[in-house]
Amino acid sequence: MTYSTFNKTKNDALKEPMFFGQNVNVARYDQQRHAIFEKLIEKQLSFFWRPEEVDLSTDRKDFMAMPEHEQHIFLSNLKYQTLLDSVQGRSPNVAFLPVVSLPELETWLETWSFSETVHSRSYTHIIRNVVADPNVVFDDIVDNPEIVKRAESVTRYYDEFIAKVNLYNLVGEGEHELNGEQVTINMRELKRLLYLTIASVNVLEAVRFYVSFACSFAFAERAIMEGNAKVIKLIARDEALHLAGTQHIMNIMANGQDDLEMVEVAAECAAEVQEIFREAAEQEKEWASYLFKDGSMIGLNAEILKEYVEYITNVRIRALGFDDMFEGRNANPLPWMNAWLVSDNVQVAPQEAEISSYLVGAIDSDMDDADFDDFDL
Amino acid sequence: MMVPDPILFAMNNSRVTVNEHTVFEYDAEFSLLDSMEENDVPMEYNCRGGYCGLCKVQLTAGKVEWVQDSLVPLEEGEVLACCCVPDGPIAIET
Repeated sequence: MTYSTFNKTKNDALKEPMFFGQNVNVARYDQQRHAIFEKLIEKQLSFFWRPEEVDLSTDRKDFMAMPEHEQHIFLSNLKYQTLLDSVQGRSPNVAFLPVVSLPELETWLETWSFSETVHSRSYTHIIRNVVADPNVVFDDIVDNPEIVKRAESVTRYYDEFIAKVNLYNLVGEGEHELNGEQVTINMRELKRLLYLTIASVNVLEAVRFYVSFACSFAFAERAIMEGNAKVIKLIARDEALHLAGTQHIMNIMANGQDDLEMVEVAAECAAEVQEIFREAAEQEKEWASYLFKDGSMIGLNAEILKEYVEYITNVRIRALGFDDMFEGRNANPLPWMNAWLVSDNVQVAPQEAEISSYLVGAIDSDMDDADFDDFDL
Repeated sequence: MMVPDPILFAMNNSRVTVNEHTVFEYDAEFSLLDSMEENDVPMEYNCRGGYCGLCKVQLTAGKVEWVQDSLVPLEEGEVLACCCVPDGPIAIET
């Protein structure tokens, strides 16, 4: 099935599945099959922010004054986050847009992915401000074995899904001989890969980011690197939206509210989804050891961070209808994190910060002459 | 006999009853969810921002004040614990 940028077959988008139906034609948002994606778009748009709005001038001084092992923690987390958002700034578009069938979901994918590019730009903003030579940080992302190992896990499902969708769009379903190799493309396998890819993205946004978040907020709890923490707080606010997005996609599929074949696919994939979560949690715990290999930071160490990884993995996997992965890990070992993870809890004047309910240009046009009765000149 | 100040009484009277047996005082936490966690009352959540719908509870008595928007549809009497705080004494079913 060749991808069409404007499918000329008239259809009712309310009857299409989320994926692998007809390619989207009219981008209309007055009606939605799954209204949650339209609401996520609106929320994400209201959250728009620019990294340059956050002043990082004191962060540079804080960074210079840090002991070397804390600089390692800070920069390693920035490298890892740069990797994750490099992937997320493009992959939802490349992987899912060729097979999406609902206008609201198509635009959510684009809006979501765009916001990840803002995150990537914010890492450049931070790195430029805290180190003299940004190359030292950026170049290490593709050289550092600890980061490269994670990159493989983060991109494996995306890359396999993209490769299979490319073939599907090129040659369609069936048995094919390509470059001397037998290749089978069938819809059931594509749907299985789709579900697993979305699960791996959910893990990326809902688990993998949180070790870095914890370290950034722990620095700020000591009143250092506060500009960085403000940026990370904005990123965390976006990530909460994104993880809800993939949670809804997976639950809509599994609960039979969309393509009914996906109910079977989700059930078949249950063990593999759990394995994706387990692998990510173990990698994040290894990452905590790597971060603290030369020493802990005040208020945080590898052990408590590993407990947090287990706790947050349980929270995330339960949201998808699974049982706890780490038995007994139900109390948050870092309860102070929640104050940093509250979406709208910014205790400053709205015009000084990025508060979702404070919309620039919000005008009440529902007025008449009587509204001016109390005015005296 | 001292008559209690009605304003102070109302301010202090933020008792939360969960599933008809667990009782705690709301203590100015950001949300009902935070208050439940503070008081070791188990509650599902995922996003803490009103997007995922996991912390949906049934408000069986009292009123709440909204502190964040809910993006998920709510039936009559349903509230998201991450999006509201008690406005006086309340009872909820999880």
